[in-house]
Amino acid sequence: MESVCVLGAGSTRYGKLEDSIVDITVQASVDAIRSAGISPQDVKAGYISNVFGIADKQVHLGPVIMSSLGISDRPSLSIESACGSGSVSFREAYANVAAGFYDCLLVAGTEKVTHTGTEWTTTYFAYCSDFFHEGSAGASFPGLFASMARAYLTEFGATEEDLARVAVKNHENGMLNPKAHLRKRITVDDVMNSAVVASPLKLYDCCPFSDGASAVILCTEEFAKKTGGDYIRVTGSGRGGSPAALQGREHITTIPSTRLAADAAYKMAGIKPKDVDLAEVHDCFTIAEVVDTEDLGFFRKGEGVEAVREGRTALNSEISVNPSGGLKSKGHPIGATGVGQVVEVYDQLTGQAGDRTVKDARIGLTHNFGATGASCAVHIFESV
Amino acid sequence: MSAKSEFMEAAKNGHILVRTCAECGVEHSSTARFCMKCGSAEMSNRTIPGRGRIATYTIITVPPAGFEEYTPYAFVVMSVDGTSLRVSGFMGGIATPDDLPVGTGARVTGYDGRGLLIEKL
Repeated sequence: MESVCVLGAGSTRYGKLEDSIVDITVQASVDAIRSAGISPQDVKAGYISNVFGIADKQVHLGPVIMSSLGISDRPSLSIESACGSGSVSFREAYANVAAGFYDCLLVAGTEKVTHTGTEWTTTYFAYCSDFFHEGSAGASFPGLFASMARAYLTEFGATEEDLARVAVKNHENGMLNPKAHLRKRITVDDVMNSAVVASPLKLYDCCPFSDGASAVILCTEEFAKKTGGDYIRVTGSGRGGSPAALQGREHITTIPSTRLAADAAYKMAGIKPKDVDLAEVHDCFTIAEVVDTEDLGFFRKGEGVEAVREGRTALNSEISVNPSGGLKSKGHPIGATGVGQVVEVYDQLTGQAGDRTVKDARIGLTHNFGATGASCAVHIFESV
Repeated sequence: MSAKSEFMEAAKNGHILVRTCAECGVEHSSTARFCMKCGSAEMSNRTIPGRGRIATYTIITVPPAGFEEYTPYAFVVMSVDGTSLRVSGFMGGIATPDDLPVGTGARVTGYDGRGLLIEKL
């Protein structure tokens, strides 16, 4: 198996963008190619992740992006796995480089939805649930995570203020990220006083609907060395699945796919959770980050809220969780998010993260899932 | 009739369809075609009274399309008495968490455009 590296990374700002889905995807791709110090001609194939291209009148994005890059003869594909599309696409790209099919690939994730309005997005996002059991009974996405939150608060005696602290921490980090969607310092009171979306989750417990595109160049180590550019190694790649509906899970407060994906990635990388210096985790809602940090093995079940309360997940603490600001503050363009997490880890481990740099970081982890964690991918990266 | 159709019909009579693996006895919801434990495709269906307790829930104030006129309402996950199963459904008339502590007794009352209908006992 080839040693696989991330050689370059690029991202648009996340937020409400005016440019089309094609334009933002091309921009992020060009930025990644330039960051890698290569030319589009070096890219042998394109992996594009996206969920709602139909909202901006463009599906089958791959050939459109490749044509813009002057490499229309190269194969491409689009991958949809709800909010986990980016990491699932990254994994498939990884597997193809590792297997020796390609020495250099473009992985680009993208989403453009903010022009459609809250009702459209709320309705269409609910189609990512197990619709027969959940969406059909009026479950919105915030509603499903709110159900997870209610179970967590009941089972572990945590409070809504505990969840609010996750948002406060991630907004603090997002203040240091010039590409973040919500660059605004907030307090626990701000979260508690924001409008209820699906109790116990309030508006500031929820990530925003965002537009944005992110891209990375994935290649063999041999290829990376030849270019002479900064690169990081992919040392672990794991995937897992869960019962699609919450009702079918053994514990409503545990996401089985996270555990499976993390176990596989840790094993492959030969590391333990405590070895991770920074983690970009899927905090689509505050409760999700708490559950994630437990399922990833950073903290014991039920102790994730205490860790946040004690500041153990803050930037440059015990483990820097979501130094980018996470989905909560950086934003969540759902098809791009999983790739954007890799961009953050690349920037961190190559010394390009500016004011939010995690000091002396050597090992980074990305964790991204689809829907309520029905599908998940975890990747581990190490600096060279 | 598919198991999903049977599930919806049973719900209209206040019942829940339970699919039990003929090989190992593990219980499944209406959408399972193969056993999650042993992989068998042999399932036997039975209906039981749709009673149970609220395992978790949320009160939705920003609804998806089609649910505006019912807002606020609860989306609930109910543990079904006498089985290892949970079911998910719609519960109207819930405005604050004080209306529905986790563990509250509940029952299935029907199935319509709002999915599985569940009411407090």
